[in-house]
Amino acid sequence: MPRQKLSEFRAKTILSEALELPYTGWPVNADEPLDGQLTQPAQAGGPFVVKVDEGVKGRFKKGLVALDVEASKLAEAVKEISSKGYHGVIVEPMVRHEQQAERYLSMMIDRSGLALQYSASGGVDIEANPDSIKRVKLDDETDWQQLASDTGISEPKLKKLAEVFKSDYFAFLEINPYLLEGSDLRLLDAAVEVDDAGEFFVDNWTAEDFRSHTGQGLTEEEKVVKELDANSPASLKLSVLEPNGSIFLLLSGGGASVVVADEVYNQGFGKQLANYGEYSGNPNAEETYMYTKQLLQLLLRSSAKQKVLFIGGAVANFTDVGKTFAGVIKAIDEVADQLKSQNVKVFVRRGGPNQEAGLAKMEAALAKYGLLGSVHSPDTPLTDVVTEALRELKP
Amino acid sequence: MKDLRTLGTKIISLGSHPGIIQSMLDYSYCIGDESPQVVAIISSGRKQERYFWGNKEVIVPVYSSLQDVSEETRSAISGLLDVRSARRVLSGMKEALELLPGLEAVNIFAEQVPEEHSLEVEKLAKQHGVLVAGPASVGLLVPGVLKLGAIGGTRYPQLVAANIFKPGDTAVVSTSGGMVNELIHTVTSAGLGVSFAIALGGDRFPVTTPAEAFLLAEADSGTKQIVYFGELGGNDEYVIAELLKNGKVTKPVLAYVAGTVAELFAEPPQFGHAKAMASSNDETAKAKKEALRAAGVEVVDVFGDLSNELSKRGGEKKPQEHNEIGVRHKSLIVSRLSGDVNGDVQLLGRDLLSVVNENSLAGLQLSLLLGLEVKSDKLIKFTDYILRLLADHGPYVSGALNTVVAARAGKDLASSLTAGLLTIGPRFGGAVNAAAGAWLNGASNDAKPKDFVASFKDNGGIIPGIGHRKYRIDSPDPRVKALTEQFSGNSNGDKYLNFAKGVELVTTSKKANLILNVDGTIAAIMLDLLESELGSTKEQLQELVDIEFFNALFILSRSTGLTAHYLDQRRHDEGLLRLSEDDITYIP
Repeated sequence: MPRQKLSEFRAKTILSEALELPYTGWPVNADEPLDGQLTQPAQAGGPFVVKVDEGVKGRFKKGLVALDVEASKLAEAVKEISSKGYHGVIVEPMVRHEQQAERYLSMMIDRSGLALQYSASGGVDIEANPDSIKRVKLDDETDWQQLASDTGISEPKLKKLAEVFKSDYFAFLEINPYLLEGSDLRLLDAAVEVDDAGEFFVDNWTAEDFRSHTGQGLTEEEKVVKELDANSPASLKLSVLEPNGSIFLLLSGGGASVVVADEVYNQGFGKQLANYGEYSGNPNAEETYMYTKQLLQLLLRSSAKQKVLFIGGAVANFTDVGKTFAGVIKAIDEVADQLKSQNVKVFVRRGGPNQEAGLAKMEAALAKYGLLGSVHSPDTPLTDVVTEALRELKP
Repeated sequence: MKDLRTLGTKIISLGSHPGIIQSMLDYSYCIGDESPQVVAIISSGRKQERYFWGNKEVIVPVYSSLQDVSEETRSAISGLLDVRSARRVLSGMKEALELLPGLEAVNIFAEQVPEEHSLEVEKLAKQHGVLVAGPASVGLLVPGVLKLGAIGGTRYPQLVAANIFKPGDTAVVSTSGGMVNELIHTVTSAGLGVSFAIALGGDRFPVTTPAEAFLLAEADSGTKQIVYFGELGGNDEYVIAELLKNGKVTKPVLAYVAGTVAELFAEPPQFGHAKAMASSNDETAKAKKEALRAAGVEVVDVFGDLSNELSKRGGEKKPQEHNEIGVRHKSLIVSRLSGDVNGDVQLLGRDLLSVVNENSLAGLQLSLLLGLEVKSDKLIKFTDYILRLLADHGPYVSGALNTVVAARAGKDLASSLTAGLLTIGPRFGGAVNAAAGAWLNGASNDAKPKDFVASFKDNGGIIPGIGHRKYRIDSPDPRVKALTEQFSGNSNGDKYLNFAKGVELVTTSKKANLILNVDGTIAAIMLDLLESELGSTKEQLQELVDIEFFNALFILSRSTGLTAHYLDQRRHDEGLLRLSEDDITYIP
């Protein structure tokens, strides 16, 4: 999953170090006892700003930022945020300033290279002033002097920013707002997205610093799959959309999985779609077993009256269908009785290395347990089988 | 723009992925190539890997680095399969572009290549005019020409089912590896053929963009229409739309853009592929589909409609003729020396009796040791001489003594001979091999004899092939003299012998008995002869050192002596040999 948001604490730590700026901030985990975690800021004296730190966009508007918090009220402010379903919080000293002083800066990379965007009217409403944002490409022809005067950030510091962007495998950087204080600057809010494929090459951050997009807690099953994925050369993804959904997808392949999910959505079954997920890159049987087990747990827990499971994907190039299906069948074996008692029907469509053996074993197992919807080879178009499965749900 | 029809088909693999490599060779065989397309593998640990070529096995050489591949082989390479890990992709590509001047097409298989690295590979690839499928790609397929990567499947039955041996008129362009294969099936099941298929990879910055793949299809004379699979995220479809509007792509396009399901999510979700996330409205599947439609692309909303549309243009699926592959069996052992052909024994590729009739004993022995029939009289004469020279040096030496002890203990011939052979090692009999390694290393690195000698300091100053118990610089070893007189004067200028003599000059200036001894002389002259008479390369000579060829000469010769000592002792039949109290210093 290449692009990942760093925690604000980590982002600011890296940026402050690069720009030789002092930084004070304390990361707080709302799930742990607060007393110990808040001792240091309390000693430093207030007031503070308390913000959620889970890569959430539009924090102000969502009421996830508390301003001007006294030391004695820190725990209260943290609990207020955690009561909304968040865990990661950051505490920083409050900096009083005029809103007009807020400036905006961002940096991004694409095929044409590195670019910098800036505006003198930063802050929460930057999106309302798109015309104020200037964009400059950063390359051999950049007029750094001009840029320094426009942004108020010195030339060496701007160059340092571009340097750390590259050396730390940033994909996106946004400082909004920052303030100019004499000849120096202060970063009030900073967001950094990194290319997680760069982890091997950097020292300044690790996967521990990633914050998820949703800000929602993961289910146990999603956590297990995340762990599986992290420890495997193959790719294993699972996200729950509707815990009480009717349609569960056990899919293979980054492309085909989206095609199948699209089909469910396009046919008007989006609301009943329980999950999105996929495995690919030839996982071993143990991995597909663990993966399937998580999905089946979710399926059995769903309160939907009718449930179908769609297993499948495109015609694999190198993922061994026999082997991966062996793991899937093992997981089905374990809960076959429960699946049967919930009247679950399973539909399968898959091709690839060893497809004959894999499909035959799958069909035999499903028939034995009374779960068989249908089993198809690539001779039947992928989406036809999705349609067949969805028909099962119609009254 | 590359002409896909004339792509070269000599491929090297960075890293080894036997499933993919085998499938490429199967494809190469099926389309009627005369020799396998994959000619070398860069990997560690092995010297060769075995693959099937049709129903028979072939050997693909393995090198530990690209630099180890001969320049002749490298200059012929036009394709590269990179199956190494993501973090080695950039460095591997830099090296490949430098060392493979004829490179035309590359497949980068790894997922999780950092975006920065992909962008750098892109720059390099453009500079060198190389077509790259990937990263995170299953490759490029040009029916009838090559299959570079896992694309189309990794098992023979898959290749047959995909029906991709003959070119057709439909290009398949896909960001997804699984879907490229699905689309190939969709196209061929509709009775159409594939002109080429490319999996660009699901990364944010694939080296070849969808738009570039479209231009490739436009330029390809075989392509009449394009089938495209795209996904949410990025803005590639807008670039494609521009190409169509500007008339730079004129061939009809049939497309599916995946990811409308993302509308279900409150926050933009990240799907299976790295690129597949819409962070703005422009990047949604819906917006991109509209843009393509506005440019005249036929965009289907239901994936199954691709199949319906194609069927209208195609017809009946006809299985394509190809060289078929039957049941095959991996053999247990590979041998270059000998084997049965139709029940008759062959040695070195020829009938046993004719090899026996036409070779001397030494000639046959050397041929077997080297694994090739040696014709050089001088080399055979030298071998004959040293086999005689090393046969027996008396019952005093460790090996012979052990054979004698075992024989007198009543052991049989095989046990007694083995007792002697097992004694051969670093201090007894092993010096020829060690000396060959030393001379080879020193001479081919143009080491100065003085520095070479100094480098043995850590070894306690002992240099293999140097030093004698009795002979000195002023009373030379007559055997060394005989060898050098008869067998020097080789066409490589006696490179190794001269180097060894240079070393001797340094060592004898320190101590008079540190002369070049018989072992060292044999090693040097054998190296010179192999290089001069057989044209052996440094790598081949190093391999002979590594596999103990030079030890083999000693063991072969001395086995005669050891066997003779066994027989001699049996004839004397003196009973058990036991040491006396005087022979042992007992320290209680």
